[in-house]
Amino acid sequence: MITNIITMNGYAFFVWASFGFTVFACSFLYYKTYKTLKKYEEDFANELKKLSVVKQEKVLKGSKIANQVLASYSKSV
Amino acid sequence: MFEFFSFSNIFSFVDKTIKFINSIFFIILIIGLSFALIFSPPDYLQGDSVRIMYVHVPSAWIGLASFTLISILSFLNFLFKIKNLNLITKSLAPIGLMFTCIAIVTGSLWGQPTWGTWWAWDARLTSMLVLMIFYIVFILSFKLIKKESNAVKFSSIVAIVGSINIPIIKYSVDWWATLHQPASINIIGKTTIHSSMLVPLSLMLLVLLLYCALIFLMKYKTEIIRIKKKNIKRL
Repeated sequence: MITNIITMNGYAFFVWASFGFTVFACSFLYYKTYKTLKKYEEDFANELKKLSVVKQEKVLKGSKIANQVLASYSKSV
Repeated sequence: MFEFFSFSNIFSFVDKTIKFINSIFFIILIIGLSFALIFSPPDYLQGDSVRIMYVHVPSAWIGLASFTLISILSFLNFLFKIKNLNLITKSLAPIGLMFTCIAIVTGSLWGQPTWGTWWAWDARLTSMLVLMIFYIVFILSFKLIKKESNAVKFSSIVAIVGSINIPIIKYSVDWWATLHQPASINIIGKTTIHSSMLVPLSLMLLVLLLYCALIFLMKYKTEIIRIKKKNIKRL
């Protein structure tokens, strides 16, 4: 049975190449999207740090998103 | 009610949904792949090469569905100038492009053992290639046009013009004599595929749809952060 799965009764190249390409493409897009998201979180955190302490507090108080992005960035660092 | 659609509420919802999809994705992926590669029977004519269908068909459906959605949203955006629609189309396009590429490549890999050729300039294959070109132009318009409002206008026109290609892809197998077989699954009409193959196909479609949702939400979240970063001093 295992041999049948591996050889796909003579169609191994076509079947495995199709599934392999799909997995590769999906993994590549996931990795690229994840990296971009983390980069933007980092940029946002850096931009926030550039502000004065008073302004930082004001931004964090007024924006739920700023809090969430900062929390997510701190987790990944 | 409109309070729910504020960016901060959408952002929390997106975050929670990403976590939920991450928690169930691999279980459904393993079940889907087991059915597609092990439990489903080989075809009496095509043998085990029929297993390519489990990635080829859902990918083609997603590629088509994404562009249809992009066209509708672009049309609405063109009329009503709703910024959120622009973010959605921008986040959907790379997913649609990737699945169109997967459909073309896996179709080619399926074509060699069944038709004896990797590629033919027949109506279905060519119209899918045209769809891929529309996706590329749509994505490039955001990268190459510096002024955002111009990029949105141009990409909307590309999506609206590209929507003409959607019925051509769908009905190409009925309108012209092609190498590609007609549809086996019909939502309204009779489905000619056996349940032993329909179940793995549905499972793989579910897996790929979950993946699409995950990527879309991550991209959408990135777009929200990009906008918030731009306006950080005004917050």
